[in-house]
Amino acid sequence: MLVVDQINKGDGSLRMVAWGVAAGLGLLLAGLWRTQVVQGEYYRGRQETQSFRSVRVPATRGRILDRNGQALADNQPRYRLDVYLDELVPQFAAEERRLRAAYVAARGLTNALPSSFWGRLAARFSAKRTKTSLGADEREALRRAARYGVVSNIIHEVNQRLGLRVARTEGDLYRHWRQQRALPFPLVNRLEPAQVAVLTEQGWSIPGVELDLVPSRHYPNGTMAAHVVGYVKATEDPDPADERDFDYRLRDHRGEVGLEGAYDRVLRGTAGAKSILINSSGYRHRQGEMLLESPVPGAHVVTTLDVALQRAVEGSLAQVSGEERGAAVVVDVRNGDILAMASAPAFDPNGWIDGMRKADYERLLDTKMRPMFNRATYGSYNPGSTFKVVTALACLDAGVLTPEGARETMRTLGYYRLGRNHVIDDTAPAGEYDFNRAFIKSSNAYFIDHGLRLGLGPLLAYARRLHLGEKTGLRLNEETAGILPDASDIPGAYAAGKTANLSIGQELTVTPLQLALVFSAVANGGSVWWPRLVDRIEPGDALSMEAPERVREGQVRSRLGIPRAHLALVHAAMRDDVALDDGTGRAARVAGYAVCGKTGTAEVKSGRKLVDRITWFASFAPFESPRYAVVVMVESGGSGGRTCAPVARRIYEHLRDRDRGGVTLGGLTP
Amino acid sequence: MNAGSIPYKSMDGVTRERVLDRALWLAVLGLMLVGAAFIFSATGANESARGASWHGYTAVRQTVAYVLGAGLVAALCLVDYSRLARWAMVAYWASIGLLACVYLFGVERLGAKRWIDLGPVQFQPSEFAKLAFLFAFANFLSRPQGELGGRGVFLKALGMAMLPFGLVLKQPDLGSALVFMPAAVVMMWVAGVPGRLLGRFLGGGLAMVALVLVQVLFVPARWRVVPLEDYQRHRLLVYFNMDFSDPGATEAQRVAARAEKANKSYNVDQALISVGSGGMWGKGWRHGTQGALGYLPRAVAHNDFIFSVIAEETGFVGSAVVLALYGTVLFSGIKIAGQARDRLGRILASGVVALLFTHVFVNVGMNIRLMPVTGIPLPLLSAGGTSVVCSLLAVGILQNIHQNRRNY
Repeated sequence: MLVVDQINKGDGSLRMVAWGVAAGLGLLLAGLWRTQVVQGEYYRGRQETQSFRSVRVPATRGRILDRNGQALADNQPRYRLDVYLDELVPQFAAEERRLRAAYVAARGLTNALPSSFWGRLAARFSAKRTKTSLGADEREALRRAARYGVVSNIIHEVNQRLGLRVARTEGDLYRHWRQQRALPFPLVNRLEPAQVAVLTEQGWSIPGVELDLVPSRHYPNGTMAAHVVGYVKATEDPDPADERDFDYRLRDHRGEVGLEGAYDRVLRGTAGAKSILINSSGYRHRQGEMLLESPVPGAHVVTTLDVALQRAVEGSLAQVSGEERGAAVVVDVRNGDILAMASAPAFDPNGWIDGMRKADYERLLDTKMRPMFNRATYGSYNPGSTFKVVTALACLDAGVLTPEGARETMRTLGYYRLGRNHVIDDTAPAGEYDFNRAFIKSSNAYFIDHGLRLGLGPLLAYARRLHLGEKTGLRLNEETAGILPDASDIPGAYAAGKTANLSIGQELTVTPLQLALVFSAVANGGSVWWPRLVDRIEPGDALSMEAPERVREGQVRSRLGIPRAHLALVHAAMRDDVALDDGTGRAARVAGYAVCGKTGTAEVKSGRKLVDRITWFASFAPFESPRYAVVVMVESGGSGGRTCAPVARRIYEHLRDRDRGGVTLGGLTP
Repeated sequence: MNAGSIPYKSMDGVTRERVLDRALWLAVLGLMLVGAAFIFSATGANESARGASWHGYTAVRQTVAYVLGAGLVAALCLVDYSRLARWAMVAYWASIGLLACVYLFGVERLGAKRWIDLGPVQFQPSEFAKLAFLFAFANFLSRPQGELGGRGVFLKALGMAMLPFGLVLKQPDLGSALVFMPAAVVMMWVAGVPGRLLGRFLGGGLAMVALVLVQVLFVPARWRVVPLEDYQRHRLLVYFNMDFSDPGATEAQRVAARAEKANKSYNVDQALISVGSGGMWGKGWRHGTQGALGYLPRAVAHNDFIFSVIAEETGFVGSAVVLALYGTVLFSGIKIAGQARDRLGRILASGVVALLFTHVFVNVGMNIRLMPVTGIPLPLLSAGGTSVVCSLLAVGILQNIHQNRRNY
């Protein structure tokens, strides 16, 4: 030992000093060992908790596509303007000094000492000196005011350059500063392309302000299929499926209704996490950002809808009056695919993303128009005369009516008297009616007569076999089952009246979608489908090797097995209703396309007073080999034939052109 | 034999030993390199962000101080220490005068007057006072050992020690004032002051310390007799992890006191976190986060708390290396004391060793909560021109004694 041998030699007093030094250094070394090695883990943990913050990074939301890959809901880049507070710290400090000087001066106080040696010497012997020391509250208030002063100057400059009117209160800034100091302070949520151009042309030079690019939900077709697609709303609430704990959450969007709501889990993907380094003042530290876990982008939902058809359907519905309330559904009768589903009036889902103006919001709450209400699946209405198709098939099934008997005529009076004083009006004039003529003139008397002969139980049983009164099993939450009464609930005394009303489509309610599925079954010979709206879920990551998750098509709910002869009779009557000049559905006639349909006008009465009419046109086409079922419903219409049949005609014109143009139902090859 | 004493032939043909104590100066050089590197680590990023010019960097200023100090050491070594000692009393009274100047018109920083402003530079007279005191006290004690038993001489010695102690205490700088005491005690011990006198002195000192502690820790405000600044009381309370509030305080007062305690113990806590999170191997040079993120306050990271920066970035291994370098300096100093030509050299060298050791022990100790927080710099490592120059001059005194030793 070169150095410490002094301990062993030399005289006593120096040896004591040497021992003292050795003991002291040994004590320090032991202390360091204890702090750094024994308790190192503990202190590293404390260091991390104080300087790291985890931030939840939402994943890119999956897209919603039509069957041909056209986007119904998409993401588009959006420019946002943020203020990075950490870059303004020097300005905050300068502003605070300025405010403090003004504050002190205003109170006639001074804190400054002369800067030179002689000046201080003189000051030492000069008369009085008032010393200022501000209280903690005063200093905090000055700091707060300084921060707001700097930020509001910046906001002012941004407003000037871009012609905006952004306003933030001191409270807004303070709340952000208290709760999310490490994150940028949002200034402008969405910049228009022109504004971005202005900024990039001028050369960006406002300190602390940065242009951030974020993906944003976008509905390219606006109101189109809005009820099916749904909308998203910004949320900062914790995601219930997310078990991780975050210090901060970046703005995420949650699907509210429609497919966005029903498939939210799938579309949302899995949020990732990043950690940011924060300094002792709580601000973000530059270059201290680290991605801990990449977000997994949400999966794409490919629907069975056809954008072109959907547009045609909505356009057709809009020609009723422009102010109509109604719905239209197009179903592929061969497999139950929903090709188009519209509800009018509609809303623009784009409006929900960043919040909307009060006036727009109030318009959405209008109790009469109810734009947010999906009438196609959530509205249930009396089917009216369209239900006569079901009555006819039930009678044929039970043998009450036979193909031969259908040719026999029955004399009607223009009304139907039931018992002593129950009279049901008939729109068809008095006269001789066989089945075909009763159908196309929509004779109430004929169908009531046959319905009564069939009886309440068998009629309801047949309706039940068509799954009326049950939800169709669409995953959308906005769906109702409709009302189908139970035979056992109806006392014998009322049975006849109920049966009579039921035979002509009163006493029960259906949704337009349910009716479209009934007419699909009528068209295809008795297969009642589970409707299909989603074809497949595709992985959101384009490089993913995962196969898309397909939803099986053509899932049969039940088979009625309607005999060919019965079908021929009903199909012919439906074709004649449109094809003959005195058929109620003649307005739905399309050149070169044999449409089979049935009109309906359900009267909504309050006591004896007529308050509203629900008008229908339910149909399928073409007659030779049915492909499409189309149901149109308009609230407060004139009559099914006058209001709804023309809508169906325009839809069928599109369908005819689509078939002729060889437009295949692309994307769905099995 | 050690590295510094390999015989060589000089020009006049007399066998002489090397002039430089090689181990001592290698250790000093090592400490200076460490100092420059970690001051840069603690301040460089912030200063480059502020756009400082090269001469504005603290690390550069520190290097300049090292060079200046080395030059002064060379000048100091031109004159034999016993010749210098003749001027010791002059230097002593000059330093007392400077301390008085500080009291009258020093610059106030953070509530204490410790600096004198000379335009471009500011300096801390208390640092020079330490050296002047060492010289004067050693000179005083180097009288024949027999005289030291006398009461008058002993009281005079005490007076010499108490005068700068009192003036520095008044600044207020309790830490710097207290470092006079171990040096004085060690010098008296080495000089041969009889044990009973020294024992009484030590006993009195310890009694004083005990009185202060008892008062700070247990006595309610109105019974306090020793005038202690609030911050000094608080530092002691933090060190002993005691509540700030008096017994019998209301709940609100207690809450306020607790908040104040958290506030006051902030530096100590952050220093501990820095040192502890360094672990065995450290985070690497300039990779420490405590200073960069400002948890270790910028005002102290490069001076009083430079050791926690070193410990965070180099871990236990680096801390041990730094302690080993200090150990080398200190033991070389003791060896030099042992080989000194006369009593003056022996006492002076012991004083230097005691002074340096006290600085190292108190400063490193406060980083690991072995000692209460005081504003004592770490010799050669803490940023600060006066401290660096004086530390180098202290080592220069050792060198002077070494090159004029017995067998020279």
